[in-house]
Amino acid sequence: MKYCNKCQVTIQTNHDYCPLCHQTLETVEKEDLVEKYPQAKSQLRAIHNPLKKIILFISLTAIIVLLVTNYLTGFHQPWSLIPIGGIVFFWMFMTLGIFSKNNIASKLLFLTIATILFVYMIDELSYSEGWALNYVMPLMLFSCNIGISLMILIKRINYRDYISYLLLIVVFSLAPMVLIVVNVIDVLWPAITSFGLAIFILLLIIFFFPKSIKDEIKKRFHA
Amino acid sequence: MAKTKFHRDWYKLDNSAKIFPTVSNQTETNTFRVTVSLKEDIQADILQKATDHVLERYPMFKVKLKKGLFWAFLDHNSKPFLIQPMTHEICGEMIPHDNNGYLFKVMYHHRDIAIEMFHSLADGGGVVELLKSLTYEYLRLTGKKVTPDNIIATKDEKLEYEEYEDANVKYYNKKNRKHIPEKRAYRIKGTELETGLTGLISGTVDTKSMLTLARKNDMTVTEYLTSIVMYTIYVTQIQYREHLKSNQRPVKIFVPVNLRKHFPSRTLRNFSNFIKTNMMMNQSDITFEDIKVLVKNQFKEGIRKEELIRKMSENVAFEKNIFLRITPYILKQFVLKIGYSMLGIKLNTMSFTNIGRVVFPESMKPYIKDVTACVYAGKFNTVNCAIITYEDRFKMTFTRSIVETKIEREFFRFLRDQGLDIEIESNYVEESI
Repeated sequence: MKYCNKCQVTIQTNHDYCPLCHQTLETVEKEDLVEKYPQAKSQLRAIHNPLKKIILFISLTAIIVLLVTNYLTGFHQPWSLIPIGGIVFFWMFMTLGIFSKNNIASKLLFLTIATILFVYMIDELSYSEGWALNYVMPLMLFSCNIGISLMILIKRINYRDYISYLLLIVVFSLAPMVLIVVNVIDVLWPAITSFGLAIFILLLIIFFFPKSIKDEIKKRFHA
Repeated sequence: MAKTKFHRDWYKLDNSAKIFPTVSNQTETNTFRVTVSLKEDIQADILQKATDHVLERYPMFKVKLKKGLFWAFLDHNSKPFLIQPMTHEICGEMIPHDNNGYLFKVMYHHRDIAIEMFHSLADGGGVVELLKSLTYEYLRLTGKKVTPDNIIATKDEKLEYEEYEDANVKYYNKKNRKHIPEKRAYRIKGTELETGLTGLISGTVDTKSMLTLARKNDMTVTEYLTSIVMYTIYVTQIQYREHLKSNQRPVKIFVPVNLRKHFPSRTLRNFSNFIKTNMMMNQSDITFEDIKVLVKNQFKEGIRKEELIRKMSENVAFEKNIFLRITPYILKQFVLKIGYSMLGIKLNTMSFTNIGRVVFPESMKPYIKDVTACVYAGKFNTVNCAIITYEDRFKMTFTRSIVETKIEREFFRFLRDQGLDIEIESNYVEESI
């Protein structure tokens, strides 16, 4: 036990000064103590990997160069948006897809939608042949559907985290059907396959797990 | 998609809890800690087992935070809860990813078991109940003969709806919800500590002498200590500098009130409100007596039932506002952040919490030395205080995010001058500077 005769308080510590007035403490009894609190440590500044900075620098420079070149060669044909889109997609893929700590179903859903938008942009900016919406979109949605369903089957313990994304992707899979109705899509089989799978999964959930789906909707939509 | 185990496994955030997830960050962490000190070294493996048992009894804490379209909510967490050794960080930011998604931590160090909790999950009253159960279970597993005596909730009992209800919504009154605008409060300045470091100084006095001292002054303990804190702020920060521009703001002490004592509720989630003392201190001749009279009046005013219901209803009405409700959560976060920066943290100089007495059954008393409580200290509230009492140990713990210890020093010297014996504990944050 130690004593500060300035503040007139007792203290049990191995340190030699008073925490209140920072003056020397008097030792009343010598004893071997474990400090009540672990010693505070100044945190060293985290060292970031320079690779990220370098790639970011190159990306930004590339985007500026592309935009300037495109501007000088005439903006009526915005070809630079394709490589710029590629760079942005790369960053989204790395940060939100690979390195993010979000759960895997949300990553799958997010990357599927990002990829669809990206290829749609490429298609529109090049020859507008419609391959992105005709083939890529329905087939991507199809595989994402299968992916998230498998995820739920394999890691059943985490199903609460995944089920809302399954619901979302099922809803998105109805999009190709809508596009058929409004005559944007002319190849039918990919759209119908994807739609069929989505309806199959939806019915499966409704018939066999009605409570979990009801709960999930209640949770996510309570106002 | 296994069947869920509990009749209810997700919870809406209660009224006070809704604000914290959006406004918490590295400096304003909104966490607090309650520690129990035993008389033997803690055995980590037994503590882990005890924690697992206790969480069966308290499913409302076995949750993680998820986002919905309109509000965030607490959903059952199936990952294991892991206890951890105490680090130097006191009431640091609660990062769910590092903690299996849980919003509280159980830590051990030497003879101490500490629970650090994010304010969205519970308030001081709730954590004390959890800590009591955990201590009981730990002592039972180490082979001590302890009995719960109906004071402690054990894992054999069943949960009641009352324990996780949102009591704010239950007692709110639509007609009594007038909003009274407030002025920004005085801020205690000092040399900032590095982010992540918190200074802690606690002083223990004898409960009986503390009570006698307060009674002698014709006040409750909380009133008396609040007056001392205000006086210390005046003496150390404002006196002889009354004319400075920064000293023209009112000193406001935020004193949480445990509403369980005023309304019949047993909820473990947030159910507290506050009293605020408010005084312009830009005069040269304020005495302790002046402050005492003022604090006593303001406490009397603030603790009236209508006033408590008004403050509660003001918040609930804000939550129930139809425009806020239909705003998607992503946008709502901005609204809440702006609202909080205007109506929240900057209206208090300091928060001064008295959690009150912790009662353990007779059979557990021989194994328990004392209980400590502390709250985080942020950028605006640079010094905060929490008080908790166990038997004859009345423990006041100051946490600070600045280097200076003037307020603590004058506060304890003042008590010392009243004839109390004070025992100090500190985490010696100075060593790291």
